[in-house]
Amino acid sequence: MPLFKRKKKENDSKTEMQQQVKKEHLTEQIENYKTKLQNAESEGVDQIHILNMLGSLYFEIENYDQAIKYYEASIEENKALGKAFTDLIKLYNIKRKEATKENDKEKVQLYLQKSDDLMKLTKDSIRGRI
Amino acid sequence: MAIIDFIINSILTQASITIALIAFAGLLLQRKPFGEVMSGSFKTMLGFLVLSAGSSIIVGSLLYFGDIFSEGFGMEGIVPSIEAINGQAMNDLGLANQIALTFLAIFIFNIILARFTKWKYIFLTGQAILWMATMTTVFGSAAGFSGISLIIVGGLVGGFFAVAMPAIAQPIVRKITGTDDIALGHFCTIGYLFAAGISKVAGKNSGSTENIKFPKGLGFLSDTYLSVAFVMVPLYMVTALFAGAEFGSELSGDVNYVVFAFLQAVQFVVGVYVLLSGVRLLLAEIVPAFRGIALKVVPDAKPALDCPVLFPYAPNAVTAGFVTTTIGTVIAMFVLPWFGLAMILPGMLTNFFAGGTAGIFMNAVGGKRGVLIGGIAHGFFITLLPALLVPHFNNLGFINTTATDVDTVAAGLFFEWLIHPIMNLFA
Repeated sequence: MPLFKRKKKENDSKTEMQQQVKKEHLTEQIENYKTKLQNAESEGVDQIHILNMLGSLYFEIENYDQAIKYYEASIEENKALGKAFTDLIKLYNIKRKEATKENDKEKVQLYLQKSDDLMKLTKDSIRGRI
Repeated sequence: MAIIDFIINSILTQASITIALIAFAGLLLQRKPFGEVMSGSFKTMLGFLVLSAGSSIIVGSLLYFGDIFSEGFGMEGIVPSIEAINGQAMNDLGLANQIALTFLAIFIFNIILARFTKWKYIFLTGQAILWMATMTTVFGSAAGFSGISLIIVGGLVGGFFAVAMPAIAQPIVRKITGTDDIALGHFCTIGYLFAAGISKVAGKNSGSTENIKFPKGLGFLSDTYLSVAFVMVPLYMVTALFAGAEFGSELSGDVNYVVFAFLQAVQFVVGVYVLLSGVRLLLAEIVPAFRGIALKVVPDAKPALDCPVLFPYAPNAVTAGFVTTTIGTVIAMFVLPWFGLAMILPGMLTNFFAGGTAGIFMNAVGGKRGVLIGGIAHGFFITLLPALLVPHFNNLGFINTTATDVDTVAAGLFFEWLIHPIMNLFA
């Protein structure tokens, strides 16, 4: 059925287009937040929210290293339990999987250690809340 | 010949040395540099000896407590502590080597089962595996296994739990985390599912715990060891008062008998602290290596992580679950003796971690009301199961203590109720 095949092709290119537009939109947002972050220090605005937004946006466009960087900075500043913690565990696991595929033993241990440390921090934060 | 005799009778009978040799062989197999092999083996030996020292401190404190409790209340008072069970099994029952080898066997069976079955879980919580190895070894040897068969049966049962527990928890864990990539590796899972079941029935249409504002008045419980002391100190002192000055002074010598009770309670906490430091040293070398190998052999594995992995999803539920579970354990403490079971004192370490995690499970399926009712039921449940093991522990020579983590208790009961009778048929 060549007719259907053509339709499928059209659909595929449509979703590709949509993906592209979405990615552009997200990249634009990232730039916005980066500007906000630069101004935040001088204006005394809450940086945590901006850092978390950047982490989450980078996670969405699958730039895992940048996502980890911003989430780690957020936790460094403020140890409140929330999305930064839950996303970081997922991110560490994704990076650990990549390292396993690449057969990079040291990297595997690094990300396992990072998730261990994060759980230790979680325990401490929970105790602080009670 | 004399040298071989010396090695067999004087060196290999020392568990700390044989455990160091197991670590030595393991590190050599990983082709580590020689310096690391030596330091790793030494640290493992050190870890075992620190664990033993902690165990002796705990046993000393528990012996005293057992004496004043039976004098004061005319019955047995049992302190639930998987650490104490592990310490006594390794030290006083001479099962250290078997436990260490079963620990490795559980790892290996976990990898085999994850590789060849649908349950692709790799259990990454080393401490929990050690507790499981302790229970399968203790009850496996009581059922009549020894030598290599004890290690293989224990490894198989433990390995099964290592994949089955994350698997049965996964539907709810998926609901909590929104992902299927990460699993829960904590041997209290049967309790979580029991709690979630009650919560589902009790908590229809009730709101989430995360909308509650909790008062921060429980700050003193923020430290694990402090919260253990918070329960142990009053318990020991009140028990000493009931036992009376005359009996108490026989044990305390020149020290005032109530002050002595206070110091003994603190000793218990010190013992747990020391023992757990030893466990950390002991596992520091073995666990990372295993994780690397397991995740390589099973590339599509889901890592089963310790319970704090879920805490950030519902921090309020952790607090609420801890409190309601503690209420349940206190109720069970008074109710179980009516049914001819031992009096089990609340174990604060378990209440915090198992209760907190159960809180997240209960909140996910039944909200606030679910956490309240399910939590009390959970506390009762995790006290009842260990109570069933008390007579067996007493027969085996354990002192005033029982296991805590319900999955390990389930493994113990499986041996005691099913395997042991079958073995007796062939005996």
